[in-house]
Amino acid sequence: MAEESQGDRLDTLPKLLRERAKVLGERNVAMRVKDRGIWRCYTWRDYLEKVRCLTLGLVRLGMEPGEKVLIIGENKPEWFWAELAAQSVGGVAVGVFTDCVANEVRYYVEQSEATFVVAHDQEQVDKVLEIKAQVPRLRKVIYWDPKGLWNYKEPDLLSMDQVLEMGREYGQQHPGLFDELVDRGSGEDVAVICYTSGTTGLPKGAMLSQRWLVEGIREWSSVDGWDRPGMEYLSFIPPAWATEQGLGIAGGLVAGLRLNFPEEPETVQENIREIGPEILFYGARLWESVNSMVQARILDSTALRRWLYRRCLWVGLRVADRKIGKKKVGPFWGVLWWLAFHVCFRALRDRLGLSRAKVVYSAGGALSPEIIRYFLALGIEIKLFYGSTEMGVVSIPRPGEIRPETSGRPMPWADVRISEQGEILVKSRYMYSGYYKNPEATAAKLKDGYYCSGDFGYLDEEGHLIVIDRMEDLKPLSGGRKFSPQYTEVRLRFSPFIRDVLVVGGEDRDYVGALVNIDLENVGRFAESRHIAYTTFTDLSQKPQVIELIREEIRKVNRTLPEQARVMRFVNLHKEFDADEAELTRTRKIRRSFVEERYKELIEALYTGQKELAVEATVTYRDGRQGVIRTLISVNEVEPRQCT
Amino acid sequence: MREMEQACVNDQRPKRVLEIKGLGLHFGGLQVLSHVDLEVMQGEILAVIGPNGAGKTSLLNCINGFYRPQRGTISFRGKPIQRLKPNKIAGLGIARTFQNIELYTGLDVLDNLMAARHIHMKRGALAGALFFGPARREEIRHRKVVEEIIDFLELEPVRKKIVGMLPYGVRKRVELGRALAMDPSLLLLDEPMAGMNLEEKEDMARFILDVSELKAMPMVIVEHDMEVIMDIAHRAVVLDFGNKIAEGSPREIVSNPRVIQAYLGEDEEAAGG
Repeated sequence: MAEESQGDRLDTLPKLLRERAKVLGERNVAMRVKDRGIWRCYTWRDYLEKVRCLTLGLVRLGMEPGEKVLIIGENKPEWFWAELAAQSVGGVAVGVFTDCVANEVRYYVEQSEATFVVAHDQEQVDKVLEIKAQVPRLRKVIYWDPKGLWNYKEPDLLSMDQVLEMGREYGQQHPGLFDELVDRGSGEDVAVICYTSGTTGLPKGAMLSQRWLVEGIREWSSVDGWDRPGMEYLSFIPPAWATEQGLGIAGGLVAGLRLNFPEEPETVQENIREIGPEILFYGARLWESVNSMVQARILDSTALRRWLYRRCLWVGLRVADRKIGKKKVGPFWGVLWWLAFHVCFRALRDRLGLSRAKVVYSAGGALSPEIIRYFLALGIEIKLFYGSTEMGVVSIPRPGEIRPETSGRPMPWADVRISEQGEILVKSRYMYSGYYKNPEATAAKLKDGYYCSGDFGYLDEEGHLIVIDRMEDLKPLSGGRKFSPQYTEVRLRFSPFIRDVLVVGGEDRDYVGALVNIDLENVGRFAESRHIAYTTFTDLSQKPQVIELIREEIRKVNRTLPEQARVMRFVNLHKEFDADEAELTRTRKIRRSFVEERYKELIEALYTGQKELAVEATVTYRDGRQGVIRTLISVNEVEPRQCT
Repeated sequence: MREMEQACVNDQRPKRVLEIKGLGLHFGGLQVLSHVDLEVMQGEILAVIGPNGAGKTSLLNCINGFYRPQRGTISFRGKPIQRLKPNKIAGLGIARTFQNIELYTGLDVLDNLMAARHIHMKRGALAGALFFGPARREEIRHRKVVEEIIDFLELEPVRKKIVGMLPYGVRKRVELGRALAMDPSLLLLDEPMAGMNLEEKEDMARFILDVSELKAMPMVIVEHDMEVIMDIAHRAVVLDFGNKIAEGSPREIVSNPRVIQAYLGEDEEAAGG
């Protein structure tokens, strides 16, 4: 290894590109992009040629090693070429999200000291031109989609085609220059700067090295089994985000994923179906919306189909539960699942573009365990990915180890510790190289060599990492213990019988309590089916059977919670939280402190051991009149003492 | 888009595309247009404005042959067209959109646009159905043109959607697309922004300006929204009760006392507005 010259070692993305093009050449497709209704292909040789010309074009325009190229645009091959070209010159790519406004663009250009901007289209170019005079360091603006820019006369504005042509000519005059530049790169070079939106202060630019991209992704892909060249991948998460840097840009070069680019952000769902990607990364929200889309479509479907779907899903969920419970699926359920798959799941997965999905991730916020269970029923293992720009990939469930709650065991290269406060601390071989021009912020995040994630979580008995919430959103309990109200609330709300819930605790309190709003419609239906007569919401909420129903729902959730976060006592509220009474925001989020103040007595009762409490509440009727409800509310224990 | 760029006319000298002289139209005793003179230059966006019932849409209907004017001449590139049938006029390269969208609501966007290419298709129905040889090549060629338009008007997400299911603003855009698919050399737009929200209006205005810039396409726009006219039109003509009462740049028009009078009415002005 030591005798190899720097050019031979494949430690940077441009070197890898050159190698791939040499081996896979012009017969293998590296990228596809849907344009004018047709999937157009770029072979590995095309990919290299574009990057080569763009690199030389940038050199011709005066770009020096170490300079930054800011890239702002949707996922398109041009984005990738620009990044690789910037790195080939010896510079750094800086990714920016397309939805930021001109002022933010100015901040990024200034902070990163970018000298070139590569922009997608008129929309992005307009932003850059608006602020160009304020950042004299910025020399050229290069765009790739000429629509609407035909009559722009700015002297420093060029089309990518122009730059490519310049590079082609320059290459003829300077043969060998490209290879020379690429050979100079090393694994320790900063490859890209990704801005992370902190909850406080201005975004910080996290520097990722070539080693992070090349070695880190190589290990990740081999652990997770997507290192087989030619696997289909649809690139639609923003390349300005470290995840797409890893999966799309590096994944394409390191693992040989075949990159597909959607026609427009709005056509992603359609394009996913056309491509049938084998590796997929959705945000938690997207999984939820796919799930609810299916539910809605099924409701609109014919009775026979609905019936079939329900039967099949029942089988699927049984199998999913066995897998989650680490039980063997067995031949009986195996055959039933096979039938359900061919009757229903196969077609359903095809509709969703998941027919070939093999490695499937979710990140960005808590994903309800029910969603994971649902997709597992269809035979899709969603892996809750835990990582960040700074820490890289920290933990991912391995195949066959899918549990709805956990992010799996830490990766072989990551050392995870939990601090006394419950904060997740990470030391990893593939971490970022610090914040750009901000060593104080970098140092502030490090403690004894470990990176402080700011996330609250724990490792379970099997060594799986469970991430609960941001540290700053936690609530205290007596004895310094902490819990995350939102984590519990999200899970409780997934029950069809619970519409809203407020989970409470406090420094002087021993355990967690909950105020529950039953879901009138679903609980009402439950009551009807059990022949339980009721008059009003208040009446229904206090029926012993309904209390038992809610108790069972809470118990189910409790089993998945860490000991101190389990809900011990609850009340079913006699009225619904109401936005008109300022208990909820208009987007139906609970106004925590207001509600806690309003139901002070009830919350107190959760901790005094009373069995019942008389309450009076003023309610505002639809017509604006106000009335007073007087009623007895029962305070319930989740685990009655007579049961062990 | 490259093909479109090549089509971009370099010759910027103003050429007269459409010339209307002494146009008169009446339905029985109702005088709809009387003695209207009008010119449209190459590359120009001409706005026709006026109060309700001023004869704006009738003027467009005369140009594209729906109505036969009783008096006057309309010449398109020097050729009189006032006696031609609408399909002939369309064949000469005058395309239009309608105030109340006239699309095939049961077809998808792609088929609507392909249908507009019909006037350029030479192969018979049988050859088209067999989709063989020249007919196939022809279809592919036309599909390319249509795809350019889809890209241009950002219709990709709705390419395969049934037009009847689309929101109003998008349908308007599809209708503009269909007019463009005819590859016209004069575009008549009848209230392209009526009933749109602000964002849709801005988008539409941008598309209209793009078409004008890219193809130097002359356009006649009938529109109520003065703000839009101020933003996009090069020149405006004001009609009132079938008479042309003013002509000039949008800025001149809004300050013209006769125009203000026509819009506000004499009585109201006398009453103190």
